[in-house]
Amino acid sequence: MAITWRAVALTALGAVWAVLWPVSLTVLAWTAVVVVAVALDIALAASPRQVEVRRDVPRSVRLGEPATSTLTLRNLGRRTLRAVVRDGWPPSAIDDGRPADARLPRQGVATPRLRMKAAGGEGARGQLALLPKRRGDLVVPFVAIRSVGPLGLGARQARIPLRGRLRVLPAFVSRRHLPSRLARLREMDGRTSVQVRSSGTEFDSLREYVVGDDVRSIDWRATARRNDVVVRTWRPERDRRVMIVVDTGRTSATRVLDGTRLEASIEAALLLGVLADRAGDRVEVLAYDRTVRARVAGASRAELLPTMADQLAPVEPTLLETDWTGVAAQVQARVAQRSLVVLLTTIDPAAAEAGLLDVVAQLAQRHQVIVAAVADPELELMRTTRGDAVETYEAAAAERTGLGHAAVETSLRRRGVEVVEALPGDLPPALADRYLALKAAGKL
Amino acid sequence: MSATYAPATMVGDGTSAKSRTRARWRRWRPWVVMGAIVLVGAVIMILPQPANSGDPYALDNPSANGSQALGRILERHGVRITVVHSASEALEKAHAGDTLAVVGDRLDPPEARRLSQTTADLVAVDVGWTLSNLVPGVHASSGSFSTEKRSASCADPDAQAAGTITAVYLVRADDDVEATTCFPERSPYGWTGAGTYLTLESNGRRTAVMAGGETVVNSSLAHEGNAALALRALGRHKHLVWYVAKPSSNQTTNAELGLYDVLPPWLPMVGLQALVLLFVAALWRGRRLGPVVTEPLPVVVPAAEASRGRARLYRKMGARGRAAAALRAGTARRLGVRLGLPRSAGPTEMVDAVARASQRPPLSVEALLYGLPPVDDRGLVSLAQELDRLESEVHHP
Repeated sequence: MAITWRAVALTALGAVWAVLWPVSLTVLAWTAVVVVAVALDIALAASPRQVEVRRDVPRSVRLGEPATSTLTLRNLGRRTLRAVVRDGWPPSAIDDGRPADARLPRQGVATPRLRMKAAGGEGARGQLALLPKRRGDLVVPFVAIRSVGPLGLGARQARIPLRGRLRVLPAFVSRRHLPSRLARLREMDGRTSVQVRSSGTEFDSLREYVVGDDVRSIDWRATARRNDVVVRTWRPERDRRVMIVVDTGRTSATRVLDGTRLEASIEAALLLGVLADRAGDRVEVLAYDRTVRARVAGASRAELLPTMADQLAPVEPTLLETDWTGVAAQVQARVAQRSLVVLLTTIDPAAAEAGLLDVVAQLAQRHQVIVAAVADPELELMRTTRGDAVETYEAAAAERTGLGHAAVETSLRRRGVEVVEALPGDLPPALADRYLALKAAGKL
Repeated sequence: MSATYAPATMVGDGTSAKSRTRARWRRWRPWVVMGAIVLVGAVIMILPQPANSGDPYALDNPSANGSQALGRILERHGVRITVVHSASEALEKAHAGDTLAVVGDRLDPPEARRLSQTTADLVAVDVGWTLSNLVPGVHASSGSFSTEKRSASCADPDAQAAGTITAVYLVRADDDVEATTCFPERSPYGWTGAGTYLTLESNGRRTAVMAGGETVVNSSLAHEGNAALALRALGRHKHLVWYVAKPSSNQTTNAELGLYDVLPPWLPMVGLQALVLLFVAALWRGRRLGPVVTEPLPVVVPAAEASRGRARLYRKMGARGRAAAALRAGTARRLGVRLGLPRSAGPTEMVDAVARASQRPPLSVEALLYGLPPVDDRGLVSLAQELDRLESEVHHP
């Protein structure tokens, strides 16, 4: 039950009577009139529970893109339903005029109310614009319906526990780097005949010689069999396995620039996954801290990116120390032959001591390992700002942290591990480039 | 995935009118119980309040300075008592053939003069310094130091019936006033003309004056003949008007208007209506359309927070040596990378290479990169800036 502003205005009208007949009975009588009118109105309002509610919402939407939640009401009663409806989306789901990269919803913004009117047996439809601010699963727990009476004084109210969900996929802004990397991949591919045999390539096919081909690639035996000059073509290795491990432990929760480390890791994983898939490798993705948070394996070509985005969407940083031994066990269990293992984590001395170094060394014996980490530009700023004593101490602390990173990096390199450290926006292309370089060098 | 969620359409919230009523009752029960307790408690606390007062000489005051006992006895003997609260009310209620008792010393002279115009028989009790205004020709006189017993020693039948009374104060009549003075002061010099009780007849009405209130208050009513005197003097007629003078009771004579009197008459009613409006507006705004929706917010710890914490620790402990070592090591590492020195290069090779690249004397480079730690913060700052400068001077060899 609820009352409207009209009931308040009606009560305020009593002041006129109070001036004309200044006795307390006037106030009492007018209050009684208002109470009776509101009660009558509420009694005449259509039941909000005699309404069939249906919500249509897309299964998923990419972060930064708008979506619409459509509510359809069907009035099952006979009275006309004048409804004020609230679709109970959490604040970060609602398009409140802020851009999607604001991440936090505007404070104190209420869910927009939908006004719908449906005569007995008829239906009405209302739409709510959504613009999710964060990756993950948005769950809407209810629809609240307030059915206003014919006088507009009072209302009946019900909360219909109709749940709904919208999966907000990672933005994958680094997809803009994909075309240039695919072009590089194509250059490496055997279709360009300037490609000569080198390590990391395998025999592809024979074809006729055209002017400009490297004479060293002429296959004389085949030329002798046919009356034509034939060259061999080569292509990069294919069907290698790429295992991407996204660390979702406590170090992934820290904020670098305006996103967590995990966001950058997911971006990098998506770009590398798509690239490796196009290059003909088999991609597996694992999000892990102490248990498996998400896993993508054996997805077919067309399905890989949607599956990866879908699986990684609800992954959130956990405030747990990552179990690196567990990571090693997972990798050993998943891949038998030599493969590329990419660890998206941090190069932090503390994390390294927690087992990263040992595990990486162990993995590096069987696999090619890349450790990719998000660098913090703030640390660099701290290091170079040396105005007064406070700043100098901060510079010293930043220097110490940097030295720790360098030491970890050095010992990783010594174990034959590739290290990629870059700013959040640069990490995905940097990792993709490193992958292409390794592929070209035949180190997969 | 979506199978774990509710179906796409839904009707109602699974409640019935009965279950909602029960749920509401369950939700409001603690408040209702609490409200009932508060209400009952308030009623219990208010109930005994009107039964008595603490004012002296009040007929509903059962404590030592009240006069409830006297009032009860008089009522039992068929005397109708009217309690009044102002001089005008007293004059209005007391007519010829009634008794008007004016009690207490809070009377002011104009009020006393007005009361002296009454047509009823007057009994003045403990009136004090304004007595002469109330009863012309009669004054309050100085009393004894303590309560003493005094005997009637006069012809008045009421006084004789009482015999002895206890009293402190005295009154005295002027010589030209024909008054009967009783219960005189016992003085070593004989009779002084002052007494505790005196009566006089004028204009066909009787006036009695009691010097003090001992004869009427609960604490001393039962002593000696106090009760007899009081009952006889006040119970002379069937109707007694009881007026205890209070300082506030004379306010009506000064025609001062309160705030309440100058406001328009409708204002309090509009105020009442505004209160109702406030309540209704609170109901209007207070009802939410569904509950507040919560959602987990992301962790926002800047990654550099740990380094900042380390910096604060350095500063707090004044760890200049450590800070300087970190700054030097960082610079040395970057210079080594830039100059292509092997990782295993020692200080000597480093100093040589840097000195060559920056064209600085080797000694100063050595002091900068491997010197003593600075002794104060200023030294640390200048070291940091000097290292910066060195770094900017070193280019690829």
